[in-house]
Amino acid sequence: MIDLEISRAWLVDPLAGREGAGEIVVRDGVLAAVNWLEGSAADGIEPTGVVVAPGFIDLHVHLREPGNEDAETVATGLAAAARGGFTTVCAMPNTTPAMDEPGVLARVSSAALASGSPLELLAHGALSAGRAGQTLSAMGELADAGVVGFSDDGSPVRSASLFRHALAYAGALGLPVVEHAEDADLTEGAEMGDGLVATILGLRGWPVAAEASAVARALVVLADVLPDVPGVRLHLTHISTAAALDFVRLAKSRGLPVTCDVTPHHVALTDEWVAGARRYAWDAVDADGHARDPWADHALVAQPYATSLRVNPPLRCAEDALACLAALRDGTADAIATDHAPHTEVDKAVEFGAAANGIAGIETALGLILEAVDAGRLSLLQAMTALTTGPAGVLGQRTRRAGAVGLVEGSKADLVVFDRSDRWTVTTAALATKGTHSPLLGMTLPGRVLLTVADGALAYEAAAD
Amino acid sequence: MTEVREARAARSDVVIPSVDVSPEQQPTAWRHRHLLDVDGLSAADLDLVMRTADAMREVLGRPISKVPALRGRNVTILFYEASTRTRVSFDVAARNLSADVVNIAAATSSVSKGESLVDTVRTVEALGAHLLVVRHARSGAPQLAAEVFGGSVLNGGDGWHAHPSQALLDLYTIRSRLGTGGDLGVAGRKIVILGDVLHSRVARSNIWSLTAAGADLWLCGPATLLRGFEAWAGRSALAGRRFRVTSDVGAAMRDADVVMALRIQRERMAAGLLPSMREYAARYGLTAARLALARPGALVMHPGPMNEGVEIAPDVAAGGQSVITDQVTNGVAVRMALLYLLAGVTARSVASA
Repeated sequence: MIDLEISRAWLVDPLAGREGAGEIVVRDGVLAAVNWLEGSAADGIEPTGVVVAPGFIDLHVHLREPGNEDAETVATGLAAAARGGFTTVCAMPNTTPAMDEPGVLARVSSAALASGSPLELLAHGALSAGRAGQTLSAMGELADAGVVGFSDDGSPVRSASLFRHALAYAGALGLPVVEHAEDADLTEGAEMGDGLVATILGLRGWPVAAEASAVARALVVLADVLPDVPGVRLHLTHISTAAALDFVRLAKSRGLPVTCDVTPHHVALTDEWVAGARRYAWDAVDADGHARDPWADHALVAQPYATSLRVNPPLRCAEDALACLAALRDGTADAIATDHAPHTEVDKAVEFGAAANGIAGIETALGLILEAVDAGRLSLLQAMTALTTGPAGVLGQRTRRAGAVGLVEGSKADLVVFDRSDRWTVTTAALATKGTHSPLLGMTLPGRVLLTVADGALAYEAAAD
Repeated sequence: MTEVREARAARSDVVIPSVDVSPEQQPTAWRHRHLLDVDGLSAADLDLVMRTADAMREVLGRPISKVPALRGRNVTILFYEASTRTRVSFDVAARNLSADVVNIAAATSSVSKGESLVDTVRTVEALGAHLLVVRHARSGAPQLAAEVFGGSVLNGGDGWHAHPSQALLDLYTIRSRLGTGGDLGVAGRKIVILGDVLHSRVARSNIWSLTAAGADLWLCGPATLLRGFEAWAGRSALAGRRFRVTSDVGAAMRDADVVMALRIQRERMAAGLLPSMREYAARYGLTAARLALARPGALVMHPGPMNEGVEIAPDVAAGGQSVITDQVTNGVAVRMALLYLLAGVTARSVASA
């Protein structure tokens, strides 16, 4: 268990809705003291320097074990999470075999134990048997074994009827359905987000309508189930379009039990990156908020068709990215989740349309979100909330930190320390994940993580320069 | 023959490469190591390609239409898609320049055993390829080839994205008919691209080259085959590159100077994009009646292969206004010019390395 004193830092406590200058003391793994500094004692402590926040929670990661250990293992995935400042991660069940019964979950849990990582590894069970979209998985057994939700992520549930049954059955177990919302008919053969860039590059477009219509369907089915199953819960993961967020906003205003998350890459990156632009979403719009033309702007600085940018849902236009940011500001989006999706070099070093979907982003998530904060698009408190209490609210009592994802004296120390003024360069050597196909390689990001403490133990410490 | 050469020399006001000698022996203004798209070509680049192609036309007019310019250079033609015209055109162009030519068709190579594009490109480079011509069904594949290949890559057509040599031979063909003096003959001319624009790399590449040359460009076809292009036109106009998009074939054809029909594929019916070939022919086929709406003597073009009786009527395809066989002949000259210019860049970069 760790002993630690951090004096003169900027503390962010999303649970208390408070941030300010302060110091913390950890004794034997317990957060022994949180002292907020006032007046002259706080002089010189800026929110743009060293920040202490609760450890981040990621609702959506792919650890690839069992079945694709070339791409990632539980051990390397957890190491990457710790480097990114995360202390709790929820693994997706699209392993081989799929996590559709408790045996696979037990194997993953023992791999986590064997890794020695103090991080909390949670898992979503498969929604359907074999993720085939035909019949329900062993939901009750999976719930007893401790899964935190059910999802066929990566293979959207085609049948509205099966989806309805899954919501009801999971709801009675007190667990959410975590849906990857996509109308697969509209995205057949799709290669990148639909729009100007796809048209010019000659890539098959993934229309906004495919996500928005699937979200609309999921929400009306949720409303249909709610009277019979008051405990029903729907979590929409990696929402990427303004149109889908409008439906979620409406559903929340009607009191439907729905939550959603957005990813750092859908917030900061846009479809024009596929053409070779490397500017963030907020720098790619005109004064009226409309996406600019990267060809006319001479903004194409990198090679086009980089497969590191191939991801599902695809990178969208700047208007959609800014809508994701707006959703984080107004609470329509409850959480930031990374959809960390590592792949091997073999699966990425191919033609764009043949490349595997996924960005391995758990180590660059904080940096991208801090870029949005630096650009004035999100407050630091909003950003930290979406990485901590936001996802904790989706998990409820099912994380070991239930109800206390804050800087709470007397609780087990579970926190991240990062320096907003310390920019680091994204290189394959700097990443712990096996999926080093980051679209940000060579770029610098703010907010180097200095220290990650999980469950009272040291999970990651940056090497001294 | 001599007279032709003198006539061209007389109107020349830029240095045309002397194509009888190897490219590294004379500096040209060409700076592109690869030719993957036409969006990066300047007006000066287009002019240089046209003038170099003139010189190649002159070679093609000789009794023995062969020069030693690329002797000892290996041109590998790697085609992942079926093609007759483009593949043979590159083959003939490379042989006319005395290059060694290797043809690889994906169906008969290790590609059919699952070899990746990257591995195949590394292999052909190890086998001595200097210039690589790639045709691929996936947009961006030549870009990937260029990232691993040590020589020059020439895009022979990728997915829906680009077909630069076709756009340049189209430009050359229009210029040879409508151009005067140093002028391309394109500025202010109404040029119509008619048909399946959505799936067409020819249309996309022509948008870049023809708008750069100042054409009054119209794209016309069924709405299902124009998806996304209205938005492109709107954004492009802000940047000073104008073209129009319409499903009204009458409005498009009226007073046109050039009409380019595009191939319609049967898969479009299965995908629900079109009711039938018959309906397409009736509503959008380039017939004599529709051609009569255009200016007298308007040029008829088609990148091939044609479905006669569908997107173009046989009498129009073979009629007096058709320059379709000119496109094929000019294709060889333009591809000779491109191979020659790219070889010069590679040779110089190797020499200076």
